[in-house]
Parts: sequence; structure tokens; C-alpha cells
Amino acid sequence: MNTRQTLVLKIHRYSPENNQAWVQDYQLKVSGMLRFTDVLRKINQEQDPGLAWTSSCEHAQCGSCSAIVNGKPLLLCELLVKKAVERFKTTTFVLEPLTVAPVLRDLIVDLAQAYERVHQAKPFIIDPAGPPAEGDELRIQPQMMDHYVEATRCINCFCCAQACISRPGNFLGPNAMMANIVRMLDPKEQAKDERLDILSAGNGLARCHTARACSFVCPKEIDVAHFLALGKQGKMS
Amino acid sequence: MSQAIQAHEVINKDVLVLGAGGAGLRTAVQILSRRPETSIAAVTKVSSPQKSHTTTAQGGVAAVDPKDRLDRPVYHMFDTWKGSDCSADQNVIKTIVDSAWEQILWLDAHGLHFTRNEEGRFSKRTFGGHTLDFGGPSAFRAIFEADRTGKGIMDTVWSESLKNKVLFINQSLATELLFRDGRCIGAVLFEAPKGTFTVVLAKATVISTGGLGQVYKITTNCRQNTGDGLALVLREGLPVMDLEAVQFHPTGIVGPGILASEALRGEGGILLNKDHEPFMEKYAPKMKDLAPRDLVARSIETEIREGRGIVNSDLNLPHVWLDIRHLSEYVHKVKLPEITGFFSKFIGIDPRTDLCPVRPTVHYQMGGIPVNVFGEVQQSPDQIMPGLYAVGESACASFHGFNRLATNSLLELFTMGKVVGDRIAGYLREAPEPGGKPAHFAEKTSALFSGYLEARGADNLWSIREALREVMTEKCGVFRNEQQMSEAIEALKELGQRTRKVGLTSSSLVMNQELVDRFELDNLLTVAMTIVVGALARKESRGAHSREDYPERSHDYQHHTLAYKQEDGGIVLGKRDIDMSLHQEGGEHAGQFGLLERKY
Repeated sequence: MNTRQTLVLKIHRYSPENNQAWVQDYQLKVSGMLRFTDVLRKINQEQDPGLAWTSSCEHAQCGSCSAIVNGKPLLLCELLVKKAVERFKTTTFVLEPLTVAPVLRDLIVDLAQAYERVHQAKPFIIDPAGPPAEGDELRIQPQMMDHYVEATRCINCFCCAQACISRPGNFLGPNAMMANIVRMLDPKEQAKDERLDILSAGNGLARCHTARACSFVCPKEIDVAHFLALGKQGKMS
Repeated sequence: MSQAIQAHEVINKDVLVLGAGGAGLRTAVQILSRRPETSIAAVTKVSSPQKSHTTTAQGGVAAVDPKDRLDRPVYHMFDTWKGSDCSADQNVIKTIVDSAWEQILWLDAHGLHFTRNEEGRFSKRTFGGHTLDFGGPSAFRAIFEADRTGKGIMDTVWSESLKNKVLFINQSLATELLFRDGRCIGAVLFEAPKGTFTVVLAKATVISTGGLGQVYKITTNCRQNTGDGLALVLREGLPVMDLEAVQFHPTGIVGPGILASEALRGEGGILLNKDHEPFMEKYAPKMKDLAPRDLVARSIETEIREGRGIVNSDLNLPHVWLDIRHLSEYVHKVKLPEITGFFSKFIGIDPRTDLCPVRPTVHYQMGGIPVNVFGEVQQSPDQIMPGLYAVGESACASFHGFNRLATNSLLELFTMGKVVGDRIAGYLREAPEPGGKPAHFAEKTSALFSGYLEARGADNLWSIREALREVMTEKCGVFRNEQQMSEAIEALKELGQRTRKVGLTSSSLVMNQELVDRFELDNLLTVAMTIVVGALARKESRGAHSREDYPERSHDYQHHTLAYKQEDGGIVLGKRDIDMSLHQEGGEHAGQFGLLERKY
């Protein structure tokens, strides 16, 4: 059954030329199977090619199209019109850019600035444990990996940081903290002390108030708060 | 240069990497491991290199484990050669396959979380066209991280680049290459967030801009895969190779075309038609559902054409079924959780209890910028362009010929990244300084962008983009013929005319997404035309290039296609030989590397 819906989108816009911000209404009729990225593309094609928004993979693997829809941070690419209408019980949607980084234009934010906080958490291996022998892989029991691989599914979409009750100015963010905690649990990482320093810094885990909003909004359904709790408990290997 | 279009900044780097995906950043990290003092800038269209298209690859990486008592690298070489329909370069096949295991260990040591078995060693799975003993039983050759192997690779090379202080230039485009005294000395960038043009002068420039999937209507490729690197070299008068070899992945999720990895069939999934008949038995009696992709895609299209497909009522799209209901809960939940999630999120079904609707979707370009076995860009088959390199999907060495095997693309991007990194590290020892800005720098950029900003008219660039994708899908898709491709050429010319009447909403340069979209549209038109011209001239069927009017492979076309763009926009074609050194050097297995009949 093809369910068509007439939507009203109220999109928060921003023009850097004159530093002007406004809300613009768009009305259009679409199939319920379209994703919100498809809807925005349709607006570009039929009504307003100048509306700026961004996306990349469009199947929830890259985290480029995060935005706030009716107050909820989410990925526009995986929000089907049909499901959005059911979930929010309306056909009117307010779309806002994330606030974790400055807006560049309309729905596009300067995500590179938000990424700086992830970079500070050092997502790489600081001091790698060498392989057991030439040509051999490091043996890791799958049960051991079960403790942390779920957290490696994070795509840094910043929905958790958006929902977090601590602000980016004083907290590196749930995603950045989780990246650090993954490497604390990872047997390939030897620099555990440096990892602890990142965890216990002023912009570190002490800023987490365990509101669990991160887990609630994560598009990848990662229990982010669980990993932050592991950090708090000191369960690091 | 006109008033608006001026290069605001000139920066100097040792190496400029255009495209910060898996291949580009593996190259950067390798250069830094050899020469830690090297300064490198990596440019990406997305907001962080971590968001590159590499991150969407799912199933795994082929690499023969030296501890495996059944598998051997020569079997992998044979499968790649046969899979390519005898049109990959054998020197490249040997280089890549021989270095596969060492490079897997590199990734593991640098933080990739490869899935382990109960012994704590790498788990392995099988994929289409991968066999033991020259076409014997299926080989369990692919190492993986669940169904997000590409993400594992991307996260590893991105974070290593971060650790080694590569400068990332995000949300930016390369608009023009710069040359002096017959060498490439850098490029002009458009940095969209700032709305500025930047000249980067570098001793070595690497093109690793990925593919062109957006040329087609249904594709697994991300929005940014608009063939920018290919259009860039074509604008500079350099050739591209084998663009007519476009891979259709057999199992895109109906609707958005999202990839449903071949791992689903590797783990035991079966394709069914509307009568629930497992139809692959008819087309590939031996390998069935695990035949190579070109063959499976054609089989699905044939089932649909002959009325044995199913039509999705929501999307009005014909498809077949992929049945994975019988796979264990462990496979659904632990080994393939992302893909299972796509089916439920994007089309609302549960693959544990429902049949999954799938159809072919454009996935990969086998062709690209012609390079030699070191990744050096070729101006012609026997002359390189010093200082210019290409790697990853945007390059064509050629490892895949006219059909790529599953798990061979991730393998190529990091093994060749290592090779190219080593080559550049050597080149930097002797490379001349790029010098100051060349006399006529940024003229092409200025002409292009002034044209975009000054155009007046009410035509819509997204309408043209959609029309282009329709034309390519209808007239130059899985099956091709002369009449339809001739029509496609005319249609593309008309669309090219229409672009002149696209007036932009804003003349601002700052994060003007419409301006970026406009630039991409030109690139899409350029590569689309190159695909069709190459496909029309190749009067045979080979790998993914399937001509209804010439259904057999022909010895007359036992070569690569080179395509050059002329000043007037016309495309002229040339040839490059296919390396058959494994065959010619003789030895025990030389007979396996001749011009084989391709049956599965």
C-alpha cells in the first residue's frame, strides 16, 4: 500500500552573508516510504534548490545528516515519512541544525569543530601491543571482544552529544568518551595510564551525570551510557 | 580571474591527497611511516574523513592465510583473473594478492577489530567466485569485522592519520590540477565552509576520490560519489580507463538501493523468484548463488524481464527475493546485525521471518584513472605524469578488469595504498620543489565557477541530475545495445545544454551547497558520456559490460579502453594492453592464466 502524506516542514534557516536566521515553511505531498533525505531532495528539486542540508551514505553508516526533528536529534536518512508520522503523531515537522557546532548554512553545521573533541579522546591506539610472532595475528578471545565491539559501531553522528545534558564547552561528549573507553578495553592498547588521564580530565567523565539521554537517542542503538558507566566503575580490562 | 573567483590562500605541502577515504589515507600513513617529517594535506568532500564511502563496505577482505592448509595465493590470483573475464593486469594481481596477509596484519595491529573465532584467531567466510584449487570448492578466504569491515578499515586509517598529524581539509573540492615542466605540482581547492579557493603546492599529488555510482538512479554509493576525480583528470587532458565496466551488485535493498552484502549469500542466503524457485541453479549450476556478481546481476534481471520477478507495491519496482530466514539467530544478530537492521529500518521487514526484496544496484567502477603497478598516473600507456598518483576506486591498475570479485576492493585500497605510499616516499627524496604558483593557475576553476554563478535561467539542477540518472539506468545499465546507447548520447548532450540555463539561488560562495551540487552535475555528465562512448565502442560482452547485440567476448577487444576528453567536449578512445605476465612467464600454473572460458 502506497501511503502518501502531505507534510509541512518548518525548517530553521540561516544565511551567513547577512547573519540572518528564519524559519521557512515547505508543504509537499510524498510517499510514506521516502526518507527525510529524499524529502529534502524533493524540496531542492521542486521548490527551493537553495535549501542547504547535507548527507553522505544515506543508510545510517556515516552520521553526516544528523539534525533535530521535533526536538529529537536523529539521522534524517533513516527517518521514513511513514514512521515519522507514527512516532511524532503529526504531519508537521520542525527541522533544526545540531547545536554541538556552529551553523554554516541552514541545516549544515561545522562538524569539523565537533570532531575536534573526538580527536582529543585519541581514537587511535596510542601504544600498540605487538603481534605474538611474525605473520601471526594477536589472539583475542571473542568473549573478550564482546565487552567493547558494540561501542566500535559508533559513527560520530553527535546525536548523543546533542542530547547530553552536559554542554560541549565543558564535556568532550559521550561519543568521545566512548572512543577512549573502547581503547581502554582493547587488549591491543598498552597506554592505559594516558587513557585514564583523558577519562579523568576536567572535560572528562566527571561531566557525565548519567542521564542516559545518549543511549536513548543513539541511532545505532548503542548503549552509550553503559560504556560510560564502565569507565566510572573503573572496569577497564 | 573574475572578481569573485580568486585564490585566497597558497599553502605548501610535501604531499596533497585528494579524497580522504581508505585508499588515500592508507597512502598517507604509509608515507609517514617511511618519512615521518613529511607534511601531508588530505582533502575530503564530507565533514570528516571518517564519513568517507569506505565506511559503508560490509562483507570482508580476501587474504590467503599462510597458516591455511587448503588455500594458496595462486588460487586467489586465478579467481581474480577469471572473475575479471580475463581483463585484469596480472602483474597487479600478483602484487596485491601476495601482500594481502601482511597488510591484514598491519590493519589488525593498528587497531581494526577483526571478528575472532573461538581460538581467538580471525574468523573467515566465503564469497562469490572465490575457490580452492582453480575453480574447485568455495574458499573461506575473507577476513571481516562483522558486517562493517569497511568501517573498521576507515576508522583505522583515519585515526592513524590523526595520530600522525595529517591535515584534514573537510567539505572541500579539488577543481583543477596544477603542472610545471611536465610535472604535477598540486591542485586548486574550493573550501566550501569558508567559500574560498586555495592553491596547494605539493611535490606529489594523490587522487583517491572514489567512484561514480551517482551516475545511476539506484546505487549503493554515497551522495558524494559523482566521479569528481575522473572528471578532474579528463579536464586536464589526461585519460581514464575502462569506465564502461560498471559493477551492478546483485542485491541492493529495493527502494533506496542500499547494499545487502554478498556475505548474506556467503553465510547461506538463497535467491528466489516469484514462484520461490532457487533460480541461480539454472545460470551457474556449480557456484549457484555464489557465482560472481556480473553473472548473478544478469540472472536476476533476466528473471525479472521474463516475468518471474515480484513488483513492490510501495515503490512500483520489480525485484526478486533473498531468503535468509533459515540462518541462525547468531548469524542474524552477531555476524550481520547492520544489514538485518537496514531491512527493518528502511523497508519494515524482519529477515528472520520475512523474505527480503532485492534487485541489482550500481555498486562499483572497475575502471578509473589509468595507473601502473606503482600507482603512477599514465598520460599514455608508456608515459607517466610525474608527481601524480591515483589509488583506490578512482584508480584503475587494473586489479579487477571487467568484473570485480567481492572482497577484492577493500583489499585493493589498502594494499595499493601501501604500494603508492612507498613509491611516493621514494619520489620525495629526489622530487623538485613545486616552486611558486604557475603562471596560469586557477584559470579553469575561474571559468567553471564564474560560469555557474553567472548563469541565468530557471532550469533545476536536481531535475537534470535525476534525468541523467534515468537515462543511464534505462539505456546503459546491466544490458546494453547500440540503439539505446546512441539515444543515451543524444539525451546526455541535451542535458548538457540544459545545464547552461541553471541559475543559482545565491551567488554566495560560503557553504553554498547548490554550487557544490552544480559542480557535481558537470562531473556526472562528463563521466556518464565517457561510460556510454566506451560501452558503445566495445562491441562484445565482457564481465559487467553486457551487450545484447554482441553477447560473446571477442579477441578484438582483448585490451583496456582509454578515453580522452577533447576541448570541444568530445570523447576520443585509445587502448592499453592487458598484462599477462603470469601466463607468459611460464611455470607450473601458467595455463590457468590464459584466455579462459568463463563458466561457474
